[in-house]
Amino acid sequence: MSEQNVLLKISNVRKNFAEVVALDGVSFEINSGEVVGLVGSNGAGKTTLLRLMSGVYQPSSGSVTLGNDTPVHLMRDNLGVVPESTGLYSRLTAWENIRYHSRLYGIDDTIAWKRTLKFAQSLDMEENLSRYTKGFSRGMRQKTALLRALAHGPKVLLLDEPTAGLDITSARTVRALVEQIKQEGGTVVYSTHQLFEAQQVCDRIIIIHNGVVKADGSPDELIQQNNCSTLEEAYVELTQEKARIRFEDSNKESGITKLWNRLFRPKTPHYAGEKELIESE
Amino acid sequence: MSKSTNRIKTIAKKEVVEFVRDWRTIVAIIIIPILMFPVLFIVFPILLESEAAELDSMNVSIEIQYNEYPEDFVSLFNQSTTILTMVNTTFTDSLSEPMGDLDRVRNMELDAILRLNYSSDVWFYSIIHLSTSESSNEAKSRIINSLILFEDNITANRISEGGLDVNSTLNPLRWDGDSSAADVATEGEQAGLILSLFIPLVLAIWTFSSAIQPSIDMTAGERERGTLEALLGLPCTRNELLMGKWLGVATITSVGVLLQIFGLLFAIGYLASSDFIGVPDLSLEAILLIVISIMLFAVMVVALELALAMRSHSVKEAGSILGPAIILIIFPALFTQVINLDGIESFWFSIPVINILLALRELLLDRVIVEHVFIWMLTSILYATLAAYYAARQFKREDIVTTLS
Repeated sequence: MSEQNVLLKISNVRKNFAEVVALDGVSFEINSGEVVGLVGSNGAGKTTLLRLMSGVYQPSSGSVTLGNDTPVHLMRDNLGVVPESTGLYSRLTAWENIRYHSRLYGIDDTIAWKRTLKFAQSLDMEENLSRYTKGFSRGMRQKTALLRALAHGPKVLLLDEPTAGLDITSARTVRALVEQIKQEGGTVVYSTHQLFEAQQVCDRIIIIHNGVVKADGSPDELIQQNNCSTLEEAYVELTQEKARIRFEDSNKESGITKLWNRLFRPKTPHYAGEKELIESE
Repeated sequence: MSKSTNRIKTIAKKEVVEFVRDWRTIVAIIIIPILMFPVLFIVFPILLESEAAELDSMNVSIEIQYNEYPEDFVSLFNQSTTILTMVNTTFTDSLSEPMGDLDRVRNMELDAILRLNYSSDVWFYSIIHLSTSESSNEAKSRIINSLILFEDNITANRISEGGLDVNSTLNPLRWDGDSSAADVATEGEQAGLILSLFIPLVLAIWTFSSAIQPSIDMTAGERERGTLEALLGLPCTRNELLMGKWLGVATITSVGVLLQIFGLLFAIGYLASSDFIGVPDLSLEAILLIVISIMLFAVMVVALELALAMRSHSVKEAGSILGPAIILIIFPALFTQVINLDGIESFWFSIPVINILLALRELLLDRVIVEHVFIWMLTSILYATLAAYYAARQFKREDIVTTLS
């Protein structure tokens, strides 16, 4: 792949939360027109990585750059982000949610509306654009968040577990939209812990485990490199190390909070004879 | 308009629209502020009057126990609403001991019992009553009123019998003429004094309290609902986000405070028409300085509330911090009311919260003292800047994106 096609560059990124290292020496490049899957178990570091890519977090060391080596937080106009929580305002309609973000991107309402209508047809959401999002199902919320992320015409779309909690039909619709974006030459970073989905949607899969990139390649390459017959087997092979627990912001607790937690935080119960029981096992 | 201004405006507008769409907000920022003072100053006195009239017309039964018939006293009662029972008796114990009458009053058989024991030219008395009963209290009140008249009559008779003039003996010192005419303060100044006793208090407390809900909703609320993360991924800077949200909270709070002042002025207008209070005389510069002082106070308070709410991990935590924090306003506000403005030391005008409240008090009296104005304005700008800086620091924290949910 030529250097010119590199759209997003993650270079030796390390991200610490207090004493816990969430990401350690992560490096990869995302090329224009690619659909890249970030696959990993819960707590692997996918969301942290996406937040670094969207400029919400700053790396502790290393860099995340877009296009011509510009730090990503200065180029956020080029990104469309769908966080896991969707982040919709319930007292605004779907269109008002979309318009709010597109205005903050500095996009004219008419342009945003045209783009929204185009993708709303694919997602079967035209009828719901003028409805308050308060009563929306998880699927409708996800679709609205997708429309919102696309309304300003981003170069890269960052999706954090876009099908999590969706029914089969809605999940298929979302995957079909990603396919449509790909066909139109768009670039998508797709975080998921569903291997079959990553295999189905993504050109390339990056497996993250305990904050480290364990593998990077097409689904077939990953299977071949690990001498496995399925992607699932390859994933299991690559992520054998026990998952570690992350304690975010633990050093930011004040003295009073620490004392309070020490006094009142529930402690792990211990029972008579448990030591012997564990040892015997 | 620059991109930055547009973004701030967009954020503020969205915050206001979203907030106003909640019917509870309409009640909190429009209905309650408009109605609070008219209800307090107009409806409440009317209710009190009607309650008093109801008590006046209430029938009460009183038993008068006496050892010598008090003929002049009995005629002092309004016999149409007071049922008197006269009982001639002799007294051996203290008059205040209920003894056998305890149950009669407690069971409401009688509303009150007056005991009158005439001995050595003195009427000793006591009233057996039930303080938790309205009718008993009313009976006691009527007895006391009649006793006061009875005592006046006895005093006058005795002075007269002693060959003295009753009026000059009882009132040897008298104000000549209309006492209000001797006050050189104008009606407007007097009105300013009355207003200065409660307007700063109301403004301070209402500004703080009405900003709590929107501040929490726009920070900890957004964080908890997961909308903040999506917002932080947008091209707007954290400072633009803070300013937009500040503008949103300030707009909502201003509307609430303005409506409350409108309600207050309406109530005052109503009272003024009944000669209770006039309209204060304020110069243009005093009015301008009042507006500036309120704005500086609002900048400080709203920025501080946004910062504290953003620092909190949840709506619940933000509420439990900002709710009690109102004490930081109430205590200085109450304290400021008792500070004597005549010859006040200048340092008072440099203390946070107190400086603005004192400034408002002075300005409502139309006193524009350059030294005081300079000190409160300078210190208020400093405090507002510090609060804004603190808020900006909170908004720039990386962990504000972390949702507890």
